[in-house]
Amino acid sequence: MTDLAEIEMIRDSARAFVPPGGDLVRIRGLRFGEAGFDPAIYRQMAEMGWLMLRLPEEEGGLGLGMRAYCALAAVLGAGLVPEPLIHANLAVRLLGAGVGDAVLAGTRIVLPAWQAGFDGLDLAAGVTGAAGGLSGEKRFVYQAAGADAFLVTGAEGGWLVEAGAEGVSLECEGTQDGGHFGSLRLAGVSAERIDLIDPAAALDEAALATSAYLLGVAETAFEMTLDYLRVRKQFDKPIGSFQSLQHRATDLKMQLALLRAGVDMAAGALDAGVDDARRSALVSQVKVRAADTAMLVAREAVQMHGAIGFTDEHDVGLFVRKAMTLANQFGSAAFHRRRFAAMQPYAAA
Amino acid sequence: MSLHSRNDIYAVMSDEEFRAQARAFIEANYPDIPRFSQKRLHFSQSKPWYMALARKGWVAPAWPVEHGGMGLSATKQLIWIEENERFGAARINDIGPVMLGPLLIQFGTDAQKAQFLPKILSGEHIWAQGYSEPNAGSDLAAVRTEAVLDGDEWVINGQKTWATLGNDANWIFILARTDKSVKKQAGISFILVPMDLPGVTVRPIENLEMHDEFCEVFFDDVRVPRENLVGAVNQGWTMAKALLGHERVFIGAPRLSSSALARLDLLARKVGVADDPAFQDRFTRLRLDVADLTALFETYIEKLRHGEAIGADVSIMKIFQSELYQRISEEMMAIGGATAALLEPFEHDPRLHAAGTYLMARPTTIFGGSNEVLRNVLARMVLDLPA
Ligand SMILES: Cc1cc2nc3c(=O)[nH]c(=O)nc-3n(C[C@H](O)[C@H](O)[C@H](O)COP(=O)(O)OP(=O)(O)OC[C@H]3O[C@@H](n4cnc5c(N)ncnc54)[C@H](O)[C@@H]3O)c2cc1C
Repeated sequence: MTDLAEIEMIRDSARAFVPPGGDLVRIRGLRFGEAGFDPAIYRQMAEMGWLMLRLPEEEGGLGLGMRAYCALAAVLGAGLVPEPLIHANLAVRLLGAGVGDAVLAGTRIVLPAWQAGFDGLDLAAGVTGAAGGLSGEKRFVYQAAGADAFLVTGAEGGWLVEAGAEGVSLECEGTQDGGHFGSLRLAGVSAERIDLIDPAAALDEAALATSAYLLGVAETAFEMTLDYLRVRKQFDKPIGSFQSLQHRATDLKMQLALLRAGVDMAAGALDAGVDDARRSALVSQVKVRAADTAMLVAREAVQMHGAIGFTDEHDVGLFVRKAMTLANQFGSAAFHRRRFAAMQPYAAA
Repeated sequence: MSLHSRNDIYAVMSDEEFRAQARAFIEANYPDIPRFSQKRLHFSQSKPWYMALARKGWVAPAWPVEHGGMGLSATKQLIWIEENERFGAARINDIGPVMLGPLLIQFGTDAQKAQFLPKILSGEHIWAQGYSEPNAGSDLAAVRTEAVLDGDEWVINGQKTWATLGNDANWIFILARTDKSVKKQAGISFILVPMDLPGVTVRPIENLEMHDEFCEVFFDDVRVPRENLVGAVNQGWTMAKALLGHERVFIGAPRLSSSALARLDLLARKVGVADDPAFQDRFTRLRLDVADLTALFETYIEKLRHGEAIGADVSIMKIFQSELYQRISEEMMAIGGATAALLEPFEHDPRLHAAGTYLMARPTTIFGGSNEVLRNVLARMVLDLPA
């Protein structure tokens, strides 16, 4: 199959789960629930091969590239899908086929517990695996309550930790989108150290997929807003006829065009093969625009809807909350600007 | 104590003395209710604070002394705001003191002033603002809620929406259509309606902070006495605009921006970016914006104190304040890292709640006249540009 055909195929299969306009009744129903997502739907998604997208064919995976992965992520974002596919894919990416069939089949959910600080992409901090077992804390583990096990990362590699194991405790806090973050505390947990596969690349890929997801979120919020500008009337005219709103809507379209081009460009470059420094610079470039654009579209969407945009009853708010939840995941815009500048330093001529 | 000697109290007090008094009063009298709450508290929770202010005579810092206010100078009003924000005191249900009171002082009959002002000051009447309707938002003059005179009573039918804390209020002032045969601005009247009457129904609406902070209010053959009309029949648009002027001074006050700036400062220290020169530069920019806004605010307060009318240019302050507040909240989201995604305050400290600040800053550019509409007004009325 050609690359393009593969991308089309994955987009179509994604749309089966995320009908145009999204299944927002399902999304609302899952908000603020215990797992924050639906394990049965997660399994169905796994059956589509979505957890083995990036796994090489010789290891039994689909061997797809970042372009296909980003196409999928954008559709998931458009439908605000709460199943933590990007996070689960990160765990698979770090472990390879060794992760086990149950994980790839979606019957066993393994989520990465990689972050300890507030921001950035440091997966080493927080936990140490001394002789007495694994100890420390990982935070901001997205949708942690739904996990059977965690892939805990440290400076020397990773550890698979069962959620119910001795010495493991999990405390969850809600996130704006109706999901949650878990704080995972480990006190002398016995677990075997595993080598992680190219962690820096894996995190960059997760950051890029998150950018594509944010693109889907922002594009849909933008479409909803355009629809509203066409139908809402004040002063006997559609509000979309007012020039100040037309100009601002156009500005949003510009940002979305830049973001989409950036996602495509970076995904294509990663698929073609680039060195580590170039990869990270490209991903940072895209994640900056993704975070900033999603947040910009979110606030303009509220503003252009007027008071109804500030209600929880109106669906546009679901997109605002998703943007707020994901904008800083896998590095905020501020972090990625710093990283880009460090890699491609500004030098006076 | 006579009104006159109360007048002397604040006029002769030095600003430092007043600040010390305000601080001591708040610290000694603030009840056991949340501080620094991002969500508005309902009256059921904040009532003891309203009552403490009422006992002290401090419900209406801006009203003239002869009507039971504190008659504070601009500087002292700012001090009062600062001390409240510094302590994190909850905002009271202030539509009565901030909006209706000044309107009645300007346009009410002596009987209306005597009937309503003391009850605002005592906390007996909690007011809601019934302007907007589903199809009359920015185009406020399109209101369709109708009031028809039947003998000595107005009979009211229709629907209002987005009434802030309407579920706490026992009175609501509304704009109602009293003449359909004229240009839409010329057929509106301003009417005071008790909310416990038969035919009044309130439906709370959850906002993005998951809080039932605004309401729909339905009127079904609601009857109020003829004297509940303020000003003259069909002069409601004049009242509406005057009241919005007071609302815009209130929204234009540096209160929201300066308290958000203090939150940003705390959050920056918490997440470890306070030493970053790039952050410090952005912070300084925001700080100077707050400082300049404060200077602008003082000029409006002084105008009000000297009985000058507030012109269309007040929107300059409303727009700048609301957008500054939003920019500060956006900076909180930008530096907050993962904490910016949280639904409840990080580490249970409301001051570290980036998402809450971000969400609560959204509607300030929508209510009190949306910033788009106010820019249109400024372009026409202040810049005198062609339509
Ligand atoms: C939190 C909150 C509290 C509120 N509290 C109250 C209250 O207590 N009492 C009350 O009566 N109302 C209240 N309101 C309502 C508020 O006054 C209205 O939301 C406001 O007037 C805008 O009306 P709308 O929401 O219908 O938006 P719309 O008028 O439908 O506007 C939608 C968008 O179109 C833009 N737009 C409209 N006309 C133009 C134009 N000519 N040119 C350019 N852009 C334009 C607006 O700026 C906005 O961005 C509250 C609103 C909020 C959000």
